[in-house]
Amino acid sequence: MKTRRFFLAASLFLAVAALIAVAPARAAQPITLGCPLSTAFLYGWAAERGFKLAVEEINAAGGVAVGGEKRPFKVEVIDTRDLEPGVPVSEALLAVEKLILDKKADFILGGPVRSEAALAAMPLLSKHKKVSILTTGVLTPKYHAMVAEQYDKFKYCFRIHGEAKNLVGEIMANFAQLKEKHGFNNLFIMAQDVSHARGAADTIKTVAADKGWNITGLEIYPTGATDFSMGLLKAKNAKTDIINIWMDMPESAILLKQWFDMKVPALPFGSTLAAAEQPGFWKATDGKGEFTLCNVVNAGNAPSNATAWTMKFYDAYAKRWGVEPEGLGSSSSYMAVYTLKEAIERAGSLDSDKVVAALEATDIMGVYGRLRFDPKSHQVIPANEAKEGAVGSILQWQAGKRVVVYPKSIAMGEIQLPPWMRK
Amino acid sequence: MEILIYGTINSVALALYALGFALVYGISRLPNFAHGALYVLSGFIAWSALNTLKLNYLLSVVIAMAVTALIGAVIYRVFLIRVRGMEISEIIASYAIGLAILEGLRWGGFKGMTYTLPPFIEGSTAIAGISVDYQRLVVIVIGAALVAILWLFTHYTRIGLALRGMAQDERAALMLGIDSDIMAVVAMGIGSMLAAFAAILLLPLGNIVVESGYNVLILAIAVCIVGGLGSWIGAVLAAFLIGFAQILTVVYVGAHFQMVVALLAIILTLILKPSGLFGQQKELEERV
Repeated sequence: MKTRRFFLAASLFLAVAALIAVAPARAAQPITLGCPLSTAFLYGWAAERGFKLAVEEINAAGGVAVGGEKRPFKVEVIDTRDLEPGVPVSEALLAVEKLILDKKADFILGGPVRSEAALAAMPLLSKHKKVSILTTGVLTPKYHAMVAEQYDKFKYCFRIHGEAKNLVGEIMANFAQLKEKHGFNNLFIMAQDVSHARGAADTIKTVAADKGWNITGLEIYPTGATDFSMGLLKAKNAKTDIINIWMDMPESAILLKQWFDMKVPALPFGSTLAAAEQPGFWKATDGKGEFTLCNVVNAGNAPSNATAWTMKFYDAYAKRWGVEPEGLGSSSSYMAVYTLKEAIERAGSLDSDKVVAALEATDIMGVYGRLRFDPKSHQVIPANEAKEGAVGSILQWQAGKRVVVYPKSIAMGEIQLPPWMRK
Repeated sequence: MEILIYGTINSVALALYALGFALVYGISRLPNFAHGALYVLSGFIAWSALNTLKLNYLLSVVIAMAVTALIGAVIYRVFLIRVRGMEISEIIASYAIGLAILEGLRWGGFKGMTYTLPPFIEGSTAIAGISVDYQRLVVIVIGAALVAILWLFTHYTRIGLALRGMAQDERAALMLGIDSDIMAVVAMGIGSMLAAFAAILLLPLGNIVVESGYNVLILAIAVCIVGGLGSWIGAVLAAFLIGFAQILTVVYVGAHFQMVVALLAIILTLILKPSGLFGQQKELEERV
């Protein structure tokens, strides 16, 4: 009987020991970052890479301190396809809903990327009380205006990158310099038929006209347009000095090739110009895109020394992905993860209302300057000096390189004119 | 003058988009909705041969055209032959194949604007004070030559005559010993090769993006409907009609409405003359 009891007890002991041995150590539950992104486009894949780089760094350093434990971040990306022509906004909304309900995302970072889709997603985020930080693509001022107008409803929505009104201000500052230096006065505007570009083009038309510029034309092109020759001829015939471009479609590279081939004596100055943002632009245009200017929205998306963190990020990104940060969405997505981590740690919780309050109190020095959100509109506060706020970056293609020319505080060179424009 | 020059360039581009689609439909009554996808695919094949395999440009072009023709023929022999004669099924099947090709390319990493083909001749010139790049002039010259070659091919070669015979009356052609299935495979191969030819000529003007496959398909359909389904001469004339209408729209109305022209042309044709300018398919019904 004793022997039987002994064997029974020993078996039980061994079984429990074996269970303990084979059971995995209880890992801390990850914090899921749901990222609705248009992954086939620059603003999508650049954001995805920015998120993943930041998450890898944070997880390698132990994770996020919340509720007395360290929890890792986990990235869930769904392709919203909202930058593709003809894809309805509802597709992006379905993607956001899937991230919330199916993937159990704790936070939504990134998109939707198209302004129309992001605006449509706001009520959905409110319904589920999901804190969201826009990091790429969406430039419409209406986004943060809606937060300010209906704060209680849309308080979960933040944007950590620049927006169209700010971009217009930066562009106008450059136009003023060009006017002073070269006597430019004729402005032609080309925009893609999407919400932010149409809105921004109208805004710049009004603002420039108020500042004494002669607006020689405004052309709106459908998404996917591949021929810009007639518009360029119009610009040329109207003796245009600057062609201001608002396009995020990859076909905009064709516009610059045509501009070169036709030797249009007007400086192509992109505000949103996704094609020219990317390092691959030079090869894609066989160098014909030289002298093109574009706004990459935030420092860190092109090489500069905006802050001590800028080139550290730039090099880490290039090492991780084998390509330099390519444009809008790279540095802002990277910083969104760090900003959220910092806010969660201060809130000590994943509770949406507590994280909203913590994000409103954010004040950190990031890749593109001091990061703070306007407490009423939840828009990141812009500045021309990194110590004051989020700085932008306007670059020009010079001899195969992206040279930051604005703002002055971080500029690596000056704006140059193509040979056929030099007097 | 600029309307004449760029209207002609635009028209020839539209004709190039549509010729392959018109030829396949004219001969085998098959609406090949994978046409736009084959256009994009051939661009990526040429790009891969040129940049990945490091072959010379001419060889890359020949390979792209040959491989695309082969793929077109295989698509017909393996998939579309099974639904031949069932028009709705043909449309659904060919569109699905097109989608699979385009999504497959995207899945394979062919995204972004960095995929380009070099122009045949670099530089530009001025015609009556209007600057035009040489590649666009090449498009006009080769496009015109292609139409002439197609005419000669369908009128003076055995295969061409067999294809025309089938287009005119498939049963009579069968009685004369023409194998309609083989001819349909040949037609699909040639139609696909024409899509590749258009891509090789036109893609150096821009870049190779997956999304353009849908645009090319819509424009090809618009041209063929206006010209008359099945008539490639009608397609050429319709290309000029739509091409100039688009340029005039850009100049006098706005670039924004450029794509609307093609869609409006489809609607107007279907309301006023469903058989199109030179189509025979529904002519009898219209007369009745």
